[in-house]
Amino acid sequence: MQKYKVTFLPDNKTVEVAKDTTILSAGISCGIFINSACGGDGVCGRCKIILKEGNVATQISPALDLEEKKKNIYLACLTTVHSDLQVEIPQESRMDLNASLNDIFVKSEEVESKEAILSDSIFKHSPLATKMYLELPKPTLNDTSSDLDRLLQRIRKVQALPIMQTGLTNIRQLGELLRDSDWKVTVTLGKRNDTVEIVLIEPGDTSNKNFGLSFDIGTTTLSGQLIDLNTKKILGTKATYNKQASFGSDVITRIIYARQEEGLERLHAAVTESMNQMIKELCSEHNVDLNDVSYVVCTGNTTMIHLLLRVDPTYIRREPYVPTANFLPVVRAAEAEIKINPRGLLSCVPGVSSYVGGDTTSGVLSSGLYQEEALSILIDIGTNGEIALGNKDFLVACAASAGPAFEGSGVGCGMRASSGAIQKVKVGPQDFEVTLFTIADTKPRGICGSGYISLISQMLNAGVIDKNGKIKLENHKRVRNGPSGKEFIVVFKEGADASTDIVISEADIENLKRAKAAIYSATSILVKHMNFQLTDVKKIFIAGGFGTSLDIESAIKIGLLPDLERKRFIFIGNSALAGARQMLLSSDATIQAAEIARKITYFELSVDAGYMDEYMAALFFPHTDLKRFPSLKG
Amino acid sequence: MALQLMTERWSGKISVVSIGATKEELGTRTHTIRIGGEESLPCLFQEAPIPNKPAIAFEIWDIAPSDWLDELNKVYGNVLNDPLKWAEKCVKEFKAQSLCIKMQGAHPDFGNRSEKEEAALVKELLKRVSVPLIILGCGDDTKDNLLLPACSEAAKGERCLIGSAVGDNYKTITASALADGHSLIAESPIDINIAKQLNILISDMGLPLERIVINPTIGALGYGLEYAYSIMERARLAALSGDKTVASPFVCFVGQETWRVKEAKTDHPEQGIIWETLTSTALIQAGADLLVMRHPKAVEKIDKYIEELFNHK
Repeated sequence: MQKYKVTFLPDNKTVEVAKDTTILSAGISCGIFINSACGGDGVCGRCKIILKEGNVATQISPALDLEEKKKNIYLACLTTVHSDLQVEIPQESRMDLNASLNDIFVKSEEVESKEAILSDSIFKHSPLATKMYLELPKPTLNDTSSDLDRLLQRIRKVQALPIMQTGLTNIRQLGELLRDSDWKVTVTLGKRNDTVEIVLIEPGDTSNKNFGLSFDIGTTTLSGQLIDLNTKKILGTKATYNKQASFGSDVITRIIYARQEEGLERLHAAVTESMNQMIKELCSEHNVDLNDVSYVVCTGNTTMIHLLLRVDPTYIRREPYVPTANFLPVVRAAEAEIKINPRGLLSCVPGVSSYVGGDTTSGVLSSGLYQEEALSILIDIGTNGEIALGNKDFLVACAASAGPAFEGSGVGCGMRASSGAIQKVKVGPQDFEVTLFTIADTKPRGICGSGYISLISQMLNAGVIDKNGKIKLENHKRVRNGPSGKEFIVVFKEGADASTDIVISEADIENLKRAKAAIYSATSILVKHMNFQLTDVKKIFIAGGFGTSLDIESAIKIGLLPDLERKRFIFIGNSALAGARQMLLSSDATIQAAEIARKITYFELSVDAGYMDEYMAALFFPHTDLKRFPSLKG
Repeated sequence: MALQLMTERWSGKISVVSIGATKEELGTRTHTIRIGGEESLPCLFQEAPIPNKPAIAFEIWDIAPSDWLDELNKVYGNVLNDPLKWAEKCVKEFKAQSLCIKMQGAHPDFGNRSEKEEAALVKELLKRVSVPLIILGCGDDTKDNLLLPACSEAAKGERCLIGSAVGDNYKTITASALADGHSLIAESPIDINIAKQLNILISDMGLPLERIVINPTIGALGYGLEYAYSIMERARLAALSGDKTVASPFVCFVGQETWRVKEAKTDHPEQGIIWETLTSTALIQAGADLLVMRHPKAVEKIDKYIEELFNHK
C-alpha cells in the first residue's frame, strides 16, 4: 500500500501513514492530540487544521466557512492523506493532554474529603493482597513432602485459607528459590474472588513492602492512589485528564470510535499509558519498587472498564443496551497492560448496567448509602453523572450525560482541581470587582468546577448575567466580545499565571447550564419515579472532582442541587476512588460491593416521557419553576 | 333530579392587560381593549366568569407586502401602498377595534427604512386613527433594537402593545416599554419553558408580569395547530394552578400563518378565508385572547362566532 509522510507543525513531528488515512488518525498515531468532541464524525468542527503543503481529499462540512476554506483550513477527521503533507495545528485545535499530565505530576495533589477517608474504618482490614514471611522446615528423609506441599502447609498453619492456586511460573522456580533462600521466603497471597492465589514467592523477608493501587477511570478525569496495604496509609494521590478525550468527549463517541480500525486498541492504549505513567510517578515519588505493587482495583463507568480490559463496548450503545460483562473476574494486571509486578492482579468494581457502572457501586459503598435508615441520594457529578437513590432497603440508580464542564474540560479557561485553580469567587455587586480564592493560594491559572459554580452564582447575584446565563452587564472594563461571544474577564492576565486573561464566556455558561440541568433533572425524575418528593430525601451525598470543596449554597443558587435544608448535604469528594480503596483494603468491602451491584435497580431516563421536559425546564438559573427554589426568593 | 356539574376551582388567574390609553388616562384613544382575566380553562362558562372576550386586531404593514395573496390584495387594493389609508380603511370600512402595524419595511432586506421614518409613521398613525395600537418590529434583532425604542417613544403614553421580545433579544425593548408605558409581547417558539423563562427575565428588569402578553407561536390548521394548542393548554393549566410567571394572556398571529399555507393558494378564493376562520376558532378554544388577522371576511365570521359563543349561557 502507498505510504506518505505527514509532518505536524509546530511540533515538527513526522509520521508515515497509508494513503486515505485521516489526518486525525495520523496525528493520534504520533502522539499529536487534536481536539475532537465528536470522535471523528465531522460534526463538532473542533479539529480544524491548516494544510501547508500536499494533496488531500476532503468532504464538505458546514463547520467551515468560506473564509476558512480560503485559508486552507480543513477538518482533520474528514480529510485524508493523498501525498506527503505538512499540516499546522492551530492553537484552538490543540488538545494539550501532555501539558496537563506534566502539570499534574509536578504540582497537583487531589485533596480528599475527610468523610471519605473516615468511612474506610468501617470495614475490617483484610487487604486483597497480603504478604506473609515464612520459615519452612527443611525436608529430611523422614519428611519428604514436596516443596509446594510444604509451602502450602506452612501457609495454612498461619491462616486457614480456601482453595489455593499458584501459577506454573512460580512452581518452576520454586525448588531452587527455596533452597537458595535457606527456606526463608515471603509469599504474596492475592484474593481472586472466592479463591486465593500465591501470586509471588520472594527470598527473604519483604513482608513490610506490600503495596496496592486504586484507580477511578472517569470519562474525563483519571485518578489514582498508591496505598500501603499493611498500614492502610494512602501514600499519594494523582489525577489527570483521560487521554481518550481526543477520541471524543463522551462515552458514546468513544464507543463509536472503538469500532474503527485499531480504535479499541488506541482507546485501550490511551488509558493504560496514562495509568502506567501515573503508577511510575507515584512509585518513584514514594520510593516504592514496582515489583512490590501486586494488586490494582479499578472503578469506572461500564464503558471505561470495557476499554481498560480491551473488551469491545459496541453493544453498550445498541438496543437493548447490554454490556459484555458487569461482574468481571480478577485478572492479571499485565493482561490489561498495567505495569505493576508482572504477576500482580487486577480487579474491577462490579457494575450494574451499561450506563451505571462500578463507579456508582463504589460510590454507594463509600458513602454508606446502602446502610442508611432514611431515604438518601448520592449525586456523582461527572461527565457521565450518576445518581443513586435509596437506603438499606432498596437502591435505584440512573445516569445523566452532563458533559465534562464541571471537571474543567470543554470550557474556555477550565482546568482540573489542582494548584492555581480558582475554586471560589466573590463578585462585588456595585463595582463588579472580583475576589479570588485559588487552590494552594497560588496565582490563578484557570477555573475548576467548584470555581465555575461559585462564579456563576456570584455573577447572578451581582447582576452580571441574567437567569438565562446571558451577560447583561454593559460598558464595563470586565466585559468584552471574545471569539465565542460575550465574555466576562475574571482575572486580567497581569494578575494571572497565564498568557491571556482568565475569562468566562456566554458559551461556557451555556455549557455549564446544560451540565447542571442534566444533573438536576435526572435527580428530580429519579425521585419522582419512585413516588417520592425531593423534600423526602434526608441525606444528599455529593461526589465529584470539583475541587477541595463545594459551596452548597452556590450549587443550589445555580440550580445544580435541589433547594433543601443545607445540613442535609454532605460533600464526599471522589467517592468512587474511595470505594475502590476500601475494596483494596478489605475483602469484606469487596463482598459488600458485589452485593450492592446486584441490589441496584437501573432506571433508564430516556424512556421516561417527562425527562426531556424536566431538562428543558432546568435550563435556567436556578430553574424555570422558581417555586422549587423557595429559599432563593428576594 | 337536576344534573350537578363538577366544577374545578383554580387558585390562579390570568392577568388583565389593557391596550390603548383614553383621554382620561392621558392618551388619545377612543377606547381601551382589555384581554385576559380568565379564572378557568377556556369557554367553561359554568366554572368561572370570563370577564373579557377575545379581541381582534387587523394586521397592517408599513410597506406594501410583496407576497400577499390576491384574495387579500383585492380587499385592500391601492391602500396597501399607504399605511395610513390602510389603517383608516380597516377602522372605517371594517370597523376594526384595534390595529397591529408590522414595521416590515425597516428590515435590512425589505427596504431598510430608518427608525426615524418609522417613528414618524407611528406618530402620524396615532393621529389618523384612534383605536388601540400594536406595534411590531421587523424581526431583525439589531434593527429592532434601534427601531422599537424610537417607535415606543413616538407612542409614549398611548399604552400600546409592542413586540416582540425574544429570548436572545429582550432587554432593549423591555426597557422601552417600561419607559414609555407600553405592554410587551413575549414570543417563545412553541415551548412553555421558554415562555416562562422569558417572562421571568422581563419581569426581572422591572416590567410587571401584568404588562406581558405571550405569543406562544402558532401553526395554521394542518400545520402544527395541535402543538400550539397543547402548549397553550399546558401554560393555562400551570397559570391557573398558581404559576404567575405564565399567567399572561395569549396573542396569536393567525393571519400571517394561515395566508401562507398551500390551501390558501388554490383557485378557490374562499379557502384562505376559511383557513383563517377555522384556525381562529380552534385557537379561541385553546385560550387565545387576542387574534391578529388579515381578511375582513374572516374577522366578520370570528366576530360573530365570539358573540354567539360568549353570549351563550
